[in-house]
Amino acid sequence: MASYDLTQRIAPNLDRHLVFPILEFLQERQLYSDEQILKSKIELLNKTNMVDYAMDIHKSLYHTDDVPQDMVERRAEVVARLKALEEAAAPLVSFLQNPSAVQELRPDKHYNLQMLNDRYQIGPNQIEALYQYAKFQFECGNYSAAADYLYQYRALCTNSERRLSALWGKLAAEILMQNWDIAHEELNQLKEKVDDSKNFLSPLSQMQSRIWLMHWNLFIFFNHDNGRMQIIDLFNQDKYLNAIQTNAPHLLRYLATAFIVNKRRRPQFKDFIKVIQQEQYSYKDPITEFLACVYVNYDFDGAQKKMRECEEVILNDPFLGKRLEEGNFSTVPLRDEFLENARLCIFETYCRIHQRIDMGRVLAEKLNLNYEEAERWIVNLIRSSKLDAKIDTKTGTVIIEPSHPNVYEQLIDHTKALSGRTYKLVSQLMEHVQTQAAR
Amino acid sequence: MSSRFWTQGGSDSEEEESDYEDEVETGGAEAANETAGSRYLKGMASDSDDSDGQKRVVRSAKDKRFEEMIATVDQMKNAMKINDWVSLQESFDKINKQLEKVMRVTESVKVPSLYIKALVMLEDFLNQALSNKEAKKKMSSSNAKALNSMKQKLKKNNKQYEDLINKCRENPESEEEKDEDEETEEDEDEESEFEEDIVEGSDADEEEEEEEADDVNDKGWEKKLSKKDKLIDKQFKNPGEITWETVNKKFKEVVAARGRKGTGRFEQVEQLTFLTKVAKTPAQKLEILFSVISAQFDVNPGLSGHMPINVWKKCVQNMLIVLDILTQYHNIAVNDIIEPDENETQKPADYNGTIRVWGNLVAFVEKIDTEFFKSLQSIDPHTREYVERLRDEPMLSVLAQDVQDYLERVGEFKAAAKVALRRVELIYYKPQEVYDAMRKLVDQVGDGDEKAGEEESRGPSAFIVVPEVVPRKPTFPENSRTMMDILVSLIYKYGDERTKARAMLCDIYHHALLDEFSTARDLLLMSHLQDNVQQMDVLSQILFNRAMAQLGLCAFRVGLVAEAHSCLSELYSGGRVKELLAQGVSQSRYHEKTPEQERLERRRQMPYHMHINLELLEAVHLICAMLLEVPNMAANIHDAKRKVISKTFRRLLEVSERQTFTGPPENVRDHVMAATRALTKGDFQKAFDVINSLDVWKLLRNRESVLEMLKAQIKEEALRTYLFTYSLSYDSISLDQLTKMFDLSEAQTHSIVSKMMINEELHASWDQPTQCIVFHEIEHSRLQTLAFQLVEKLSILAESNERAIEARIGGGGLDLRRRDNQDYAAAAGKWQDNSTYTLGRQGTTRSGYAGSGRTLALGQPGGYTRDRSGQLRGASGYSGGQRNSAARGSQMDSSARMVSLNKGVR
Repeated sequence: MASYDLTQRIAPNLDRHLVFPILEFLQERQLYSDEQILKSKIELLNKTNMVDYAMDIHKSLYHTDDVPQDMVERRAEVVARLKALEEAAAPLVSFLQNPSAVQELRPDKHYNLQMLNDRYQIGPNQIEALYQYAKFQFECGNYSAAADYLYQYRALCTNSERRLSALWGKLAAEILMQNWDIAHEELNQLKEKVDDSKNFLSPLSQMQSRIWLMHWNLFIFFNHDNGRMQIIDLFNQDKYLNAIQTNAPHLLRYLATAFIVNKRRRPQFKDFIKVIQQEQYSYKDPITEFLACVYVNYDFDGAQKKMRECEEVILNDPFLGKRLEEGNFSTVPLRDEFLENARLCIFETYCRIHQRIDMGRVLAEKLNLNYEEAERWIVNLIRSSKLDAKIDTKTGTVIIEPSHPNVYEQLIDHTKALSGRTYKLVSQLMEHVQTQAAR
Repeated sequence: MSSRFWTQGGSDSEEEESDYEDEVETGGAEAANETAGSRYLKGMASDSDDSDGQKRVVRSAKDKRFEEMIATVDQMKNAMKINDWVSLQESFDKINKQLEKVMRVTESVKVPSLYIKALVMLEDFLNQALSNKEAKKKMSSSNAKALNSMKQKLKKNNKQYEDLINKCRENPESEEEKDEDEETEEDEDEESEFEEDIVEGSDADEEEEEEEADDVNDKGWEKKLSKKDKLIDKQFKNPGEITWETVNKKFKEVVAARGRKGTGRFEQVEQLTFLTKVAKTPAQKLEILFSVISAQFDVNPGLSGHMPINVWKKCVQNMLIVLDILTQYHNIAVNDIIEPDENETQKPADYNGTIRVWGNLVAFVEKIDTEFFKSLQSIDPHTREYVERLRDEPMLSVLAQDVQDYLERVGEFKAAAKVALRRVELIYYKPQEVYDAMRKLVDQVGDGDEKAGEEESRGPSAFIVVPEVVPRKPTFPENSRTMMDILVSLIYKYGDERTKARAMLCDIYHHALLDEFSTARDLLLMSHLQDNVQQMDVLSQILFNRAMAQLGLCAFRVGLVAEAHSCLSELYSGGRVKELLAQGVSQSRYHEKTPEQERLERRRQMPYHMHINLELLEAVHLICAMLLEVPNMAANIHDAKRKVISKTFRRLLEVSERQTFTGPPENVRDHVMAATRALTKGDFQKAFDVINSLDVWKLLRNRESVLEMLKAQIKEEALRTYLFTYSLSYDSISLDQLTKMFDLSEAQTHSIVSKMMINEELHASWDQPTQCIVFHEIEHSRLQTLAFQLVEKLSILAESNERAIEARIGGGGLDLRRRDNQDYAAAAGKWQDNSTYTLGRQGTTRSGYAGSGRTLALGQPGGYTRDRSGQLRGASGYSGGQRNSAARGSQMDSSARMVSLNKGVR
C-alpha cells in the first residue's frame, strides 16, 4: 500500500517540524520499517535544535546509550546560542511580560516604536532579537513560546517580508500545538497576504507560496470541524487550482475526497470532474480513479473495485485517516463517511440510467450491502423522496420512474419570460421618448 | 577614312594610357599597389572575356554609329593635346548626341564603355588643367570660359554615370579590351560584367550547371591562387621583413576595397586568407579572420541566392579557427559595441590585459545557419546534392556548439541563448530515429574531416599557428529529448522574448513528435502562445502552425480525436495548408500575388526534409472530422445545419453526395468519404477497411497500435451513430446484440451507451435484469421540434430588440439598463438554461464528448481574425476546442506562465 503514500511529495512543501506528525502516523501504520522512519526522523532533527529528542531517537534506533559526539557538541552549541539570544531579547521580553507596561501599547505602530525607544530603550535591534529568539524557540520545539513571541513581534515589526515569515511561523506553531481555531484565523490572514501579489517578486514564488499554504492547510482542514467545506472553497479557487495542476497534482486527492464527502457542491463538482479527467496523466490514485469511473466512464464494476482501494488509501493517509478513539475501539470517521457517500454517488448515477434494477444480486453487491440492508437503504431514500422509485418485491427489483418534463410545460417556460421582456422594452422606450419630448 | 581614324586613334589612346599610368606610378607606393591589384583583375576580366569572345557577332548597322563615336573621341583627344577647350566642348556635345543615337540603335540600357572611357579621360584632363594654375592663366579668355563651362557640364553629366566611371577607373585596361568586344556585349545587360558572380546565381534550374561551374571555378581558383600568391609574396618576399605594420596596412587596403564595384569578391577572400597566414599577433589574425568571414558572406550578392557550398564550408572552418584563437588566448575579447583603437591588435599574445577585437560571433553563426537553410531551400530535394548538403549539418552543429560553449564560458548567456536556439532549430523536427542516424553520420564524417584538414594545411605555413583546440566533432547526447531539454532550459533562462517563444514552439513540436501530447499541450497553453502569435513575425507564425500540425498528429496517435481535430481544423479551414506550413506555394484563385509577395513566400519555404507529410495530415484531419461529425449529423437529423463541427468536412461531404456515380476511392478525400458513407450506416468494418487501405499509414512509427486505436474509435462512433439513427425503430434492444453487432466488449458497450444516456443524447434506460436498453417514447414530433426552434428564434429576436434599443438610447439608456440589469441578466440566464435544455431534449448536445461542443463554438470567432500579412490565419484556433480540456489554460494567471517556462526545464 505504500505506493499510494504521498509523504514524499508532501514533505518538501512542509516545514521541518510539520513533517513530524506525518512520520508519527506512518510509524503507527507501519507502512515502512521502523528503522527507516527513525533514521529519517534523525535526519529531520539534525537541522533543528531539538537535539535532545534526536538523541533519544538515536538511542532507540541503535539500542545504545552512546550518543555520537557531534550531537553532544551540537547540543552545547544550541544551548549557548539560546542563552545569547535570550539575553539579546531580554529587555523586550521583560517588557512584554509586564502586563501594565503592555497596556501602554496602542494600535498605532509608530507611536509604539517611538514609545519603546524613548522609555525603555528598546530599538530595532531588540525587536529583531525577539524575532530571532522566537525562531530559535520554534526550532527547539517550544512552540507556544514561539507563537507568543511571534504574535508580539508582528505588532512591532516594520519589515513586510519579516512579517510574512512571522505569520508562517505562527501558523506552524499553532498547527503543531493543535490549536485549530487559532490556526484557522492565522491561515486566513496568511491567505490574504499570499494572494496579494505586491508581496512577491515573481508570480512563480507566489504560486510556490500558494502551494505551501495548501499543504499546511491540510492539517487544519482535516481537523477543524468545518474544514471539509473550506478545503473546497480554498482549493477550488482558480488560482489555487492552477497551482495544484501545475505543481502539486497530488493535492487532488484531498480535494476529491472533500467533494465526495460534501454532496452539496454539485455545480463545482462537474468542473472538478473535468479537471480530474484532464490531470489523469499527471496524477491518479484510487480516489480520483473512482470519480473517473463513476462520472466519466460509467464503469460501475470498476468503481466498485476502486472503492475498496480507496478505503485502504484513506486509512493510510495521515490527513484522511485520522482516528477517533472512542472507548476501546478507534474509528476513522472520514472513512465511513467517504464510503457512504461514495456508495450514494454510484447508486445515484446508476439509477439515472436504469429503469429496473435487480435488488437482490446487483444492487446489494454494488452497494456492498446484503439484501435486507439494501432494501432498507432504498426504502429510506424513497421515503425521503430523494428517489422517485418503487420496489417490486415479487421480482425483487427496484423500478425507477423515468421523469420527462412535459413538452408543453417546457415551451411555456421558455416563452413566459419573453412577454415580460417585451413589456419592459416598451416601457423603456416610452420613458426615453418622454424624456426626449420633455427636453 | 574612319578606319584610319580607328587605327590612329587606337595607337594614340594607348600612348595616352601609358602616359597616364606612368604619371600615376610616380604618385607613390599606394597607387602602385592599386595597379598591382588591377593588373590581377585584368587577368580575371580577360578570362571572362575569352568566353564572351566565342559568341561574337558583328552587326554593321551598329558599327557605323560606333565608328562615329570613336571618331569624336579621337577629335577630343586631339583637342586635349593642344589644350583647346573650345573644340573640346563642341566634341563633348557631339558625343552626347551620338550617345543617344547609339543607344537607340543598340536598344540597350548599357552605356558603351567607349563613352565612359571618354568621360574618364575628359575628367582627368580637366582636373589636370584645373590644377595647373599657371597654364590656366595663360589661356585665352574664350578658352578659359570654355574650360569653366566644361567643368560644370562634365560634373553634371558624370553624375549619371558615376558607377560606371568608378569601375572604369579601377580597371581601365579591361575596359580597354572590352572596347573591342563592345558589339558582342551590347545587348547583354549590365550584369554580364559580373560574370564571375553570376555563376553563383541560384536559379534552381541551373543548379547542376552551377555545380560544374563551381568545380571549374575551384580549379581556376587554385591556379590563380598560386599566381597571386606569387604576387603578394613579392611584397612579403622575406618573411623576416614582415612586420605588424605592413600586414596591417595591407589589410586595411584590402578591406577598403570591399564593396567597390570591380573588386573581385573571391580575390578579396583569397587575399585576406593569405594575410591571415602572415598575421603577426593572434589578435591581428583574429581581426583578419573576421574580415575573411565577412568577405565570404559577401561572395553571394542578393537575398535570393545562397552562398556557394565550398565557400560555406571554408567559412565554417574559419569560424572554427576563430574559436581556436579565442580559446587559446583568453585575453582576447570579441565585442561589437566598442570600437577598439587602431593598434589594439598590435598587442602580442602575452599582453597583460584584454585585447578587444571587433566582431560578433552570434551574427556570424546566425548568418552561416541562414545560408545553410537557404541552400537547402533552393537545392532540388530529389537530387543527390541535397543529401550531400544535408550531410554538412554536423559541421554547422559543431560550430554552433563550440560558439555556445565559448559564449557560456565568457558569460555572455544572452548571446549563447541565441546560438542555442539555432541548435534547437536544427534538431527539433527530428524524430529519435533520424537523430540517431545523424549521430552515426557524425562519427563517419569525423574521419573525412581529418583528411580535409590535411589538405587545408598545405601551402606556406602561417606565423601564428593555432592548434585545433575546440572540438571538431559535435557531441550529441544519447537522446534527442535530453539535448532539447538542455538547450531549451538555457534559452528559457537567458533568451529574449522572440528566442524564448521560438524555443517554446520547437519544444512543443518535439514533445509532440515523441507522442507526449499532454506535456506539449500544457506547454502551449501555459505559454499563452496562441494568444499572441498574431503579433509575431511570419516565420514564427509558420513555426507555430507547424507545431500545431504536429500536435494534432500527436493527439491523433494517442487517440484523442477531438483534440486532434481542434488542432488541425483551423489549418484546413482556409484551404491554404501548404502556405500556412510553408511547404509549397499555393495558388489562390481569387487574387493574384505580386511577384514581390511570391518572392517573399518562396524565401520562407521549409526545406524538404523538414516537411510534415501533407497527405498524412489531411487524412488525420478528415478522419477526426468524420469521427466527430458523423454521429453529430445522425443526432441532428431535424436540424442538420445547426451544429456543425467541421465545415470543411461538411462541404466535402456535400460535394461527394452530389456526384451521380461514385467510383472507387483514389485520394485521401475519396477514402474518407467512402468511409463516411459506411459509417453513417453503422458499418464499422467497411469504414475501417477503407481507411486502412490508405498508404499514408506506413509513415507512422507505431502503425499497428494507431490503427488499433482507430478501429476502436470507429466502432464506438459507429455504435453511437447507429443508436442515433435507428433508436426510433426499436422499442428495446439487448446489450448482447449490440455487443455482437459492433464487436465491442460488454463493458465498453455499456459504458458508451450509459454515457449517451447521462448526456441525454439517447432517451433510454437500462433494464438491468434483462440487460436491455429500453427506449422512451419522448422523441419530439416534427411540430414540437419546430415549436422549440420557434421559441429559440423568438428569444433571439427579443434579445436583438433589446440590444437595438440599447444602442438607440445609448448613454441615456445606461441608467435604465443598469436598473434593469438584474432582471435582464436573470432573463438571459433563464433563456440560456432553456436553450441548453432544448438541445438536451433533442439529443443534440454532445457535452459528454469532452465537452468541446460549446467551447468550440466560442473559439470560432477568434479564428477569423487575420494577421497583418494576411498569410496566416487562425493561429488562435487551438484555444477554441481545447479550452475545455484545459480550462486552466484560459484561466491561468501570469504566474502560471512563468511556471510553465520552468516546468519545461524540469
